[in-house]
Amino acid sequence: MSYIVPIGPYHPALEEPIHAKLYTEGEIIKDAECFVGYNHRGIEKLATERNAIQTLVLVERVCGICSHSHAFTYAMCVEAINGTEVPKRGQYIRVITAELERLHSHFLWLGIACHIIGHDSMFMHIWDERELVMDILEKMTGNRVNYAMVTIGGARRDIDDDLRREILDACQKLKAPLDRITEIALTDKTIAMRTKGVGLLPTADAIRLGAVGPHARASGVDIDVRRDSPYSCYDEFEFKVPVVDSCDVFARVVVRALECYESIKIIQQALENLPAGPINLGTKLPKIKEGMAVCRHEAPRGQLSHLVVGNGSLTNHRVSVHVPSFKNTPTVPFMLRNNTVADAGLIIASIDPCFSCLDR
Amino acid sequence: MQEYKRIDISKDQIVPIAERMRRQNVYLVMIHAFLNKEGLLDVSWDYAVEPVIESYHVVGEMLLPSIGEIYDTAATWAEREINELFGVEFEGLDMSQRLFLPEDLLETQGRGQIMVTPLSELVEKNTKEAGK
Repeated sequence: MSYIVPIGPYHPALEEPIHAKLYTEGEIIKDAECFVGYNHRGIEKLATERNAIQTLVLVERVCGICSHSHAFTYAMCVEAINGTEVPKRGQYIRVITAELERLHSHFLWLGIACHIIGHDSMFMHIWDERELVMDILEKMTGNRVNYAMVTIGGARRDIDDDLRREILDACQKLKAPLDRITEIALTDKTIAMRTKGVGLLPTADAIRLGAVGPHARASGVDIDVRRDSPYSCYDEFEFKVPVVDSCDVFARVVVRALECYESIKIIQQALENLPAGPINLGTKLPKIKEGMAVCRHEAPRGQLSHLVVGNGSLTNHRVSVHVPSFKNTPTVPFMLRNNTVADAGLIIASIDPCFSCLDR
Repeated sequence: MQEYKRIDISKDQIVPIAERMRRQNVYLVMIHAFLNKEGLLDVSWDYAVEPVIESYHVVGEMLLPSIGEIYDTAATWAEREINELFGVEFEGLDMSQRLFLPEDLLETQGRGQIMVTPLSELVEKNTKEAGK
């Protein structure tokens, strides 16, 4: 029997609005379609009416989870247009915040994945550990989300010696629970049964459809902007890019768990070698020179790109934001095919979607 | 700092470049569009030729070939977005459904977000009306 099963756009199981249409034969999904655009906020248009500092505040609101990534990428664009050299200490603080953001984002996703799978004790355990990262972020920036750590030409808040030691302690404390979480993720029967062989995205299709971030790396695509096109001070740190080629939801769990170790490694290196000196170039409101720049940042969900066009005034002529979910969401219908309706929620969630981010 | 290389091309070169990039497994970072100082539309195809972004620009064209057959949804979503915001037509692109904007905004022939009244003008108009 053929059915069309609609999910969303507003549905109790969805944190954000997306409309998926599943074309099924009995329990099996034969085809699917995804519709977005329910949260379009016109952020790019709003940016053309704001100066660079106001735009930092605005682009942080594109996403609650990866807010720092947006401010970081936008600032890089303006600095590239203006030829601004960011002080080393400011660059390090930006990277530390970015990696803490990746940690809390991956912990959040791992928790949600376990919740969807039905492993709620694991969900609560992971989110409990995530609080350690959130506390550090709050201490560093004053906020749990929308950190406002970036300004044009550097960082807005310094990390003093006490805080530096506290973050290093927190990184150390995180390792044991992360080991436990990774071990459970790799060995638990429930997780394996719900995720192995589910939502397949073969390597060739991941490249063809333009998947990015942990989603692509779980399909055997070895990409990471931090390594392939180093920016800020990422070339000064040693880290691995975990790549798994089983191409299923299980691989996406593994990649994200392993990436947490690498983020901790980067944070530790940055804090141990935190350079002395200023964190920014002062508070003067910058004009955006005539010119354009496209900058990329490896956000928690994958490659984030901003285009900024300046016309020599205080405001932006054009800001274009393209988030990882813009690239990863179109892979969802492909992954849903030949899976059961019961797995649809998990497969959609496996890209770590952010539809508010996508819609802007 | 990431390097960004601008290359101006004609619209006939869009597809051959996309084919070459696809053969070399180069990622399409994004297709961007904006109105330049002269009011002409500047569309760019940005490829990650690591560590550089090679950005191929076509200026002043409102009818462009789609590279959807080469880059699939990595290109078609960006093309659909540009169609909605700027009214550019991509030959061969399925535009039967909107991507971001509400269906009623499509009545403006794709001239959506970027073509609407600038906010400052809108605020001025609302203030005047409120004054009445």
